[in-house]
Amino acid sequence: MRRARAAERAHIEAPAASHDVAEPLPEGRTVRDERAAVPRHGTPGTTHARSRAVRVGRSALAVVSSTGLACVLLVLLGVLTWLGTLAQVELGLYAAQQRYFESFGLVHHAGPVPIPLPGGMLVLVLLAVNLIVGGLLRLRRGLATLGVLVAHVGILMLLAAGLVKTLCAREGHVTLHEGESAAHFESWQRWELAITEPIDGGRARELVVPEERFLQAREGAAARLRSAELPFEIEVERFLANCEPAPADAVAHVGSTVDGVFLREKPRDPTAERNLAGAHVTLVDRASGARRSGLVWAAERAPFVAEVGGRRFAIELRHERYPMPFTLTLDEFRKEDHPGTGMARSFESDVRVVEGAAARPVRISMNQPLRAGGLVVYQASWGPSNARPGEPLFSTFAVVSNPSDAWPLWSCVVIAAGLVFHFGRKLGRHVRAEARRA
Amino acid sequence: MSRRWSRRATALLIAMFALCAVSASGTADRDERGAAKGWSARAIELAGEVPLQDGGRVKPLSTFASFTLLRLSGQRTLASRGEARLDATAWSLDVLFHPEAAELEPLFLVPDSAAIEALGIDVGDKRKRDRWSHSELAPGAGRLLALAHEYDAIEPKQRTSLQQQIVTLAEDVNAFDGLRAAFDWARTQLTVPQGTRVAALFGGARSVRFSDVIARAPELAALHAQMAAGADANAKVELEALYTLERELDEAVRGSRALRLFPPAVPTGEREEWHTPWSILADAFGTGAVDPRHVELLRAWEELARTSGTAEVELETARTLAAQLATARGEGSKLALELAYYRWNLLGWSQGLFGLAFLCAAWLWLRPRSRAPYRAVCVLVGAGACVLVLVIVTRCMIRGRPPVSTLYETVLFVTATGSLLALATELLNRRRVAVSAAAVLGLVGLFVANGYETLDKQDTMPSLVAVLDTNFWLTTHVTAITIGYSAGLLAALLANVYLVARLLRWKRGEPAVFRELARMVYGVTCFGAIFAIVGTILGGIWANESWGRFWGWDPKENGALLIVIAEVALLHARMAGWLREFGMCVAAAFAGTVIAFSWWGVNLLGVGLHSYGFTSGIQTALWSYYAVQWSVCLAALAQALLARRSSRAVAT
Repeated sequence: MRRARAAERAHIEAPAASHDVAEPLPEGRTVRDERAAVPRHGTPGTTHARSRAVRVGRSALAVVSSTGLACVLLVLLGVLTWLGTLAQVELGLYAAQQRYFESFGLVHHAGPVPIPLPGGMLVLVLLAVNLIVGGLLRLRRGLATLGVLVAHVGILMLLAAGLVKTLCAREGHVTLHEGESAAHFESWQRWELAITEPIDGGRARELVVPEERFLQAREGAAARLRSAELPFEIEVERFLANCEPAPADAVAHVGSTVDGVFLREKPRDPTAERNLAGAHVTLVDRASGARRSGLVWAAERAPFVAEVGGRRFAIELRHERYPMPFTLTLDEFRKEDHPGTGMARSFESDVRVVEGAAARPVRISMNQPLRAGGLVVYQASWGPSNARPGEPLFSTFAVVSNPSDAWPLWSCVVIAAGLVFHFGRKLGRHVRAEARRA
Repeated sequence: MSRRWSRRATALLIAMFALCAVSASGTADRDERGAAKGWSARAIELAGEVPLQDGGRVKPLSTFASFTLLRLSGQRTLASRGEARLDATAWSLDVLFHPEAAELEPLFLVPDSAAIEALGIDVGDKRKRDRWSHSELAPGAGRLLALAHEYDAIEPKQRTSLQQQIVTLAEDVNAFDGLRAAFDWARTQLTVPQGTRVAALFGGARSVRFSDVIARAPELAALHAQMAAGADANAKVELEALYTLERELDEAVRGSRALRLFPPAVPTGEREEWHTPWSILADAFGTGAVDPRHVELLRAWEELARTSGTAEVELETARTLAAQLATARGEGSKLALELAYYRWNLLGWSQGLFGLAFLCAAWLWLRPRSRAPYRAVCVLVGAGACVLVLVIVTRCMIRGRPPVSTLYETVLFVTATGSLLALATELLNRRRVAVSAAAVLGLVGLFVANGYETLDKQDTMPSLVAVLDTNFWLTTHVTAITIGYSAGLLAALLANVYLVARLLRWKRGEPAVFRELARMVYGVTCFGAIFAIVGTILGGIWANESWGRFWGWDPKENGALLIVIAEVALLHARMAGWLREFGMCVAAAFAGTVIAFSWWGVNLLGVGLHSYGFTSGIQTALWSYYAVQWSVCLAALAQALLARRSSRAVAT
């Protein structure tokens, strides 16, 4: 069902709490640091200090740009990769990835022995610095190092692509039954709190709160959300990353109840997108101070509806949504099996891409995504997996907006060219030397 | 003097090992067709050529029989109760047409007799690991089913080995039962109630065959409709007769769904799935569509089920009819090639050639300067590699795929490229070492291939899942990464030669030999690094094309990254002067285990998008390799440290 809605998206500001204000840095320290780094001319003893500083600087530069550092960092990256791979068996992909690869530091527990390790992100940043300084800027120039230089440029392109993706990419999915349409895609993991108010003409105004504002909310440390456009404040009293509603009388329960129901916390699923988050929220009328409590849960069909100051609002917790520059309509999904087996041979979705008045049919299949409007739409999965023949199916598309989408291909070409030139040249020399020997 | 003798003894051992290897690969060549009881060699050959659809593709019955027998018994030929071993196709003919005899054959491999005891059967004087016949298992059939049902509910990872054995045994017995009942329809005589219009349709015959009913199906369906309308005075009697016949028909075809032996008479666009007697019956009564060629083919199989002769004529008719139907649909064009592939056993030949090359390498090692063994090794390795390339090319032609799309094929490809790369290294650097490495690589690689095939027990030319259905990426990424594996493993092998020579103090006082070895290790590593890096990035680009992300820290991706890191770190450490000859060889040997981890190890973790290939049982082999390789590295390091300390002591 499509909801007619004028999606006015605005982010609610959090109330200016005191901890938000950055504390001024003690000035003295900054000054002292400056003096140490930039010695003034003319003062007695500075020439000595200067040459020493230059020496220290040079040797620091030598270390930063050394091949040895590259080795150490590579070995560290190797160890992290290995540990992070083994950790996936227990932690699942997402948690292991965050812990080992997207961190700046971690403590790995080898049995009872805690081993502090630098995180994958830190190692990669250092490796990039080492690569730029040692592998590009300070590399001896000449035919002998040309191939290496080119290969290093390629690696740097690859790292840059990764950086751009980390900073700018958005990933999510659209799940459509045949005949359905969507103009937005949803994050796999990130949550948002959406406050919707119907306005005249069947339209609605929508305000969303990104998860950073309420992720840390706990009993006794509620997150307070406020917007000038709303007649109330929202207190998120308790946020649970994976939970289910349960009757409060059935078991000993933790946390507040609403109408005899509370949110029972569940262990996080290693597959992050299977988690169903929930939160206990209270609306505080700004005029009267009256409070109304409710539960929001990711799998809930109907939102928490409240009337404040004569206006009706619907509050729901859902995966973060991102608008698409077009509307996607699923006409037909086909799953073909190898004849006589239950093994999939192909998945295909016939979709319509509607941009303004223009609509064009596109077929999306495994290995053949749709690229349009800066987004790439992939055939990701389908369901229900136990559907009988003829039962309506849904198709899930992974949607990614990534400015560096095509960079790896170019970097691959560059790296290959550099390596082939470098090692080809060496091989040629070796062959000539062998020929002389014979 | 003692050193010379120890060298001779080692050489003798190696020679014996190689002889065993050659003879082991030779047994596969031996022709056992004629020995099958009852069926003539010609009949078995004809039966093997019958096309069927299985696992999503059209294949010869011989391939199906061979892998089914391998799955049930762990062998490609059956150690029958008679004297000779039974060929897989002959065995399948027995199961299909003489089930009462096949039930007595010791077929099902039970690795631990505890599973038999759990079924309440007396183990008697059978061994712990033994083969059991269907009739021996029959008293425990009910218990087997109940236990298997219970254990099946447990996640495969949580099952004990005994539980897993019970589940597997139940599946195997079920598969056997399926085959045993597959031709029930051909043996059944259907009774026709006399004095009815139904009987009149069959010319008054008292009993008819399945094919007769199919031939008359449209008339029977019409009669049924007419009688069901209830206008006829005799409707009740006629309907009763029809129901009797239909009940018997249902009973007859119930077990026939195990084999798809009947190519549809319509183009592939209309119906892809091949028919079974069950679906032919359903179509004949449902839509009234009966193709006379299907009736003919059904008759041929019925004759075969009843004949007491050699069955050659019947098999030839069945094979020819089915092949014609398949050809009309444009299917089965690769059947002849596949039959030739298995009949000629090129893989066995390749293994034999590598085995002989290995023997000559041992000879060369005893006489490093003589020309005859050197030439022999070169020729034999070259021939072995050529035959292996022929194997790979044939498989590509049969499957219409690039060389590598399954785990099994990576083994063949790594072996082929590894031995060719070693030959190329020998051409560039004629030190007579690389060529011996090629022989070792070829022999070990094909042993692994056979071992994997036996453990996996699946058709090695399966249909591919949707995401792999792209010849472009299979050609570029998979080929590049596999060449990376083979180069890395060759470098590790050469590095081991260096380390072991150092450990055993061979060639002491000949630093040039070691220098050349290290140069080879370096060169092969560089070659491998290019392919590993390019292959890994290409893998990311493919992942971006099909899953929408370049890198996802998936175990298989991490494995590839580990190889890249190991090789790049090695090359940089050499640049930095941290690793010289010896250190580089230790690192390259260690990198071999990194490759093994990436190639096989990550698949055993059971997580991620790439966890293809059922490889339990490989764990032991993998850990043995790790253990041996790390021991060699550690021993070499320890020796080097001791040597340094003692030389320092001498200096002071």
